[in-house]
Amino acid sequence: MSTREIISTGNDLAARAAVDAGCKFFSGYPITPSSEVMHTISDLLPRIGGTAIQMEDEIAGVAAAIGASMSGVRSLTATSGPGISLKAENLGLAQMTEVPLVVINVMRGGPSTGLPTRVSQGDVAQAKNPSHGDYKSITLCAGNLAECYTETVRAFNLADRFMQPVFVLLDETLGHMHGKADIPTAEAVKSGIKLRKTFDGPAEEYHPYGVAQDEPAVLNPMFKGYRYHFTGLHHDKNGFPTEEIETCRLLIERLFNKVEAHQEEIDSYEEFMMDDAEVMIVAYGSVSLSAKEAIRHLRAEGIKAGLFRPITLWPSPAEAIKKYTDKIGKVLCVELNIGQYRDEVQRASGRLDIEGLFKVNGRPISPFEIVNKVKEL
Amino acid sequence: MARTLMRFTGVGGQGVLLAGEIFAAAKIKTGGYGLKTATYTSQVRGGPTVVDITLDDEEIFYPYANDGEVNFMLSVADVSYRLFKNGVQPGGTIVIEPNLVHPTEEDKKKWNIYEIPIITIAKEEVGNVITQSVVALAIANTFTKALDKKVLVDTMLSKVPEKVHAVNLKAYELGEKYALEAIAQGPAQ
Repeated sequence: MSTREIISTGNDLAARAAVDAGCKFFSGYPITPSSEVMHTISDLLPRIGGTAIQMEDEIAGVAAAIGASMSGVRSLTATSGPGISLKAENLGLAQMTEVPLVVINVMRGGPSTGLPTRVSQGDVAQAKNPSHGDYKSITLCAGNLAECYTETVRAFNLADRFMQPVFVLLDETLGHMHGKADIPTAEAVKSGIKLRKTFDGPAEEYHPYGVAQDEPAVLNPMFKGYRYHFTGLHHDKNGFPTEEIETCRLLIERLFNKVEAHQEEIDSYEEFMMDDAEVMIVAYGSVSLSAKEAIRHLRAEGIKAGLFRPITLWPSPAEAIKKYTDKIGKVLCVELNIGQYRDEVQRASGRLDIEGLFKVNGRPISPFEIVNKVKEL
Repeated sequence: MARTLMRFTGVGGQGVLLAGEIFAAAKIKTGGYGLKTATYTSQVRGGPTVVDITLDDEEIFYPYANDGEVNFMLSVADVSYRLFKNGVQPGGTIVIEPNLVHPTEEDKKKWNIYEIPIITIAKEEVGNVITQSVVALAIANTFTKALDKKVLVDTMLSKVPEKVHAVNLKAYELGEKYALEAIAQGPAQ
């Protein structure tokens, strides 16, 4: 794939990615440390006939994006943890109605308003289940500047493939750091766009939610002559509310199964110096940068450490994790939270002896803190 | 080239961010790697701000300076000087704005501290206080010799509107002149 070099920040790259991926609508409410996503996209979208709106609050920010997506256009909202808390109800609506949407969360310290300008990975568990009820989250996590771009592009294609919100997690460090990114050309991104399926048969045969148990709804854009109904209630094949026993069961099981049955289309992870690793470090987001630097130092001292970096956090690459945890004794999760992903590594590995190096004061974890921790193991 | 770690500290609103972006971009232009990170508080104006700039020929992963590894620091606010000075390696170089930053006697023994009235130069000699970030850029590069002057100046000019090219060039030349004088004179005793 042909690439280009851009010198910029993670937030700016994420916004550019959205536009290159065919996003035509942005609505949101500015919040540190994600505001630059909105800043860039509100400059870019009007130039290509798109729309960017600063709404009155976070809730309206996601509501308008869901509405735009119902009408058929690729839509984005961007925020930080406090914004996701406010958007949670509508994110549940989008899961239930199967409306594709990309949600960028540039993580900062929490809970509540927390540490607005400082880095955190405290929203990893939130991204798995931001709203009540059963559904299967798709959450991608950029681990460097280039991935702020490429994961946002991937999120748009996954949202249309699985017809649901897809989270892109950045963190304050990645969102604001400024440097070089080698990213695909806009033409390459454009040629890889896979839009949502549509139905073009007779209107009376169209049943948007009447699909196979491992497939997402087929939602034709509004205003094209196909009538159906959106509701947050359990609904039938045409989207109308129902409490019929089997229909209800099948609907929610399908929301789960449409993701679970196709996990190989969603999985993504990086293995860094894992071939001969005797210590496995699990890290993601900006912390993985620190881990890579630490591994360089550890290897120079003869300690064979490697990094397993999930890029798709949810659903987790559980099989790949287990493959390594079955053969490597020392496993260390390094996170800017108190083990939100270690829980998942424990689950995937079936082991309770997964070590942790955690920090929650808004400061980054330095390579030497990781080096020292590994030596203690 | 070994890794160069620079740190610019000030308070929010002084414009120390731009100099960091220019350094990173100029290094990348020469085929190397450059990263800039900024840390600031939610107190937007007046809060302590620190910008870390990492330049290397090899790929850089971790974008912040580790404490004790900074080669060169420039500071234009006392609150941030005190907060971030310990990032500088013993024997490293610190340039301060002497009207605003007040190092202790102990500091002067630990580091090579040079006094250059950066803000006064920008305000009175260049004639525009906003140019202090370019004065700082010139000072930092004169001390660290991190980058070829032409590449750095061209990158700087590409990031500012054409109508202010002349004033920014003047700011760069003055920064360089004062830095050379300070180097000739030696660190504060």
